[in-house]
Amino acid sequence: MAKPIRSIANEVQMQVKEKRPFTILTVLKNRWFLYTVSITAFFLLWDTVAYRRVFGGGLARPQEVITQLGKMMVDTMAGKSLMGHVWASTHRILIGFSLASIVAVPLGLMMALNRYVNAFVRPVFDLLKPMPPIAWISIAILWFGIGEESKVFIIVVGTFVPCLLNAFNGVRLIEPQLYDVVRMLGGNRRDEIIQVCFPAAFPAIFAGLQISLSIAWTCVLAAELVSSRSGLGFIIIQGMTLSKPAQIIGGMLLIAVAAWGMSLLVSGLEKFLCPWKREVMSQ
Amino acid sequence: MNVVGVEHQDKIVCQNISKVFIQKGNQRVHVLEDINLSVKENEFVVILGPGQSGKSTLLRIIAGLETPTSGKAILDGVEVAGPGPDRGLVFQSYMLFPWKTVMGNVELGPKLRGIRKKERREIASHYINLVGLDGFENHYPHQLSGGMKQRVGIARAYANNPELMLLDEPFGQLDAQTRYFMEKETARIWEAEKRTVLFVTNNIDEAIYLGARIISLQGKLPGRMHRVYEVDLPRPREHTDMKFLELRHEITEASELTL
Repeated sequence: MAKPIRSIANEVQMQVKEKRPFTILTVLKNRWFLYTVSITAFFLLWDTVAYRRVFGGGLARPQEVITQLGKMMVDTMAGKSLMGHVWASTHRILIGFSLASIVAVPLGLMMALNRYVNAFVRPVFDLLKPMPPIAWISIAILWFGIGEESKVFIIVVGTFVPCLLNAFNGVRLIEPQLYDVVRMLGGNRRDEIIQVCFPAAFPAIFAGLQISLSIAWTCVLAAELVSSRSGLGFIIIQGMTLSKPAQIIGGMLLIAVAAWGMSLLVSGLEKFLCPWKREVMSQ
Repeated sequence: MNVVGVEHQDKIVCQNISKVFIQKGNQRVHVLEDINLSVKENEFVVILGPGQSGKSTLLRIIAGLETPTSGKAILDGVEVAGPGPDRGLVFQSYMLFPWKTVMGNVELGPKLRGIRKKERREIASHYINLVGLDGFENHYPHQLSGGMKQRVGIARAYANNPELMLLDEPFGQLDAQTRYFMEKETARIWEAEKRTVLFVTNNIDEAIYLGARIISLQGKLPGRMHRVYEVDLPRPREHTDMKFLELRHEITEASELTL
């Protein structure tokens, strides 16, 4: 049933609220039902493949992974419990990711707003941009040793590029007539930047942060796989050395969960800072 | 050529305005040629011309967003040197700030001029009411229909209390029904709070319905002034009025000759 909630002369806004009859088909088409089916099917397939030993002993069954994770919660590896290792990786990412975004986002904004800054930074940036961050691992170890610094450095290198590029493009792609609006209303260059550039670039900046976050996990893993005594990468490498597939898969699952949680945090922050976007997405 | 003498009570005067854009590869595009017109205080003047006749460029020159290649625009005896809050511009594609609510959009002008929050809220509320959007203060632009968005655009321009309102094909993106209705609303709003208005359109009906005077441009670049029509019809006007139809016929005939 549709009823007009408000009418301004000939422009009517409608609010539609319909109740569908409850049938088996509605249950089958329900998305939560389909989510459940999808997840169940995945685990069933995984368990069947593991049980039939398609990959020999290389694939652990889901319950073995859970048991292994539970065991690692209690036991310590290299002086750290499982949560300690999760925190070790997360901690590195938080430092590297924060450092990179605090420098790269303002730099990207400044490059977009000032062509001299752009002309000065761009050539060096363009030279370094295509280098995969993993390529820096060896030199980072030579410079900083195998401690925390080298891992944080890799993360900074990897996340810097998308943070900067997205902030830059966020400002560059602003509809120029929006500046005209501010000018016509009596604003100056400063008002243009505050009223238009920053809010308009927000969504792009956050898209850059999300991309950076997933790159940060790739970087920290790579760095930990090469040399580390802590972190989720260490757990995975240990699992390989000890030939424990349950430990490897457990580590992989934990990475997925931790990365997912952090990206939820960033999108939560975005929804808090950009209420207009939240409204768009909820429709 | 209808050259109107420069009198001091004229709100806006355009003197021999020409505009040449230089595009990539040094290609010169002659957009306006020798435009002379003047608008009196509180007069509603419509500039009528088909697409690509330079009419939006003329409006942007008067707004101060473009500089004429030669000639000048004079507002209250002072040559226009840049954009400013004494002119309110309404854009064809609304140009609302999506991150601001209706209230936030409308109060931006007073805010930029440093008016205190309480006072500018009162000003904004007044104009939101005037355009018929009371109750929508906290809506974001994407929650509004096209006609409602342009109401916000009009309220935003009004809120700065400008000397001159410039409307650049404001209803070009609306469907015919809404457009017709918004024309009525524009006439009502103008009656309620008179301003000097320069209204650009490509729609002959819209021009006759709204304008006290219609200045038509020739249909191809560079845009030149073609004719001036005085619309001597009582308001509110009727599209089916005999005189309305006669004038419509006259303008259509005349513009077909130049196309």
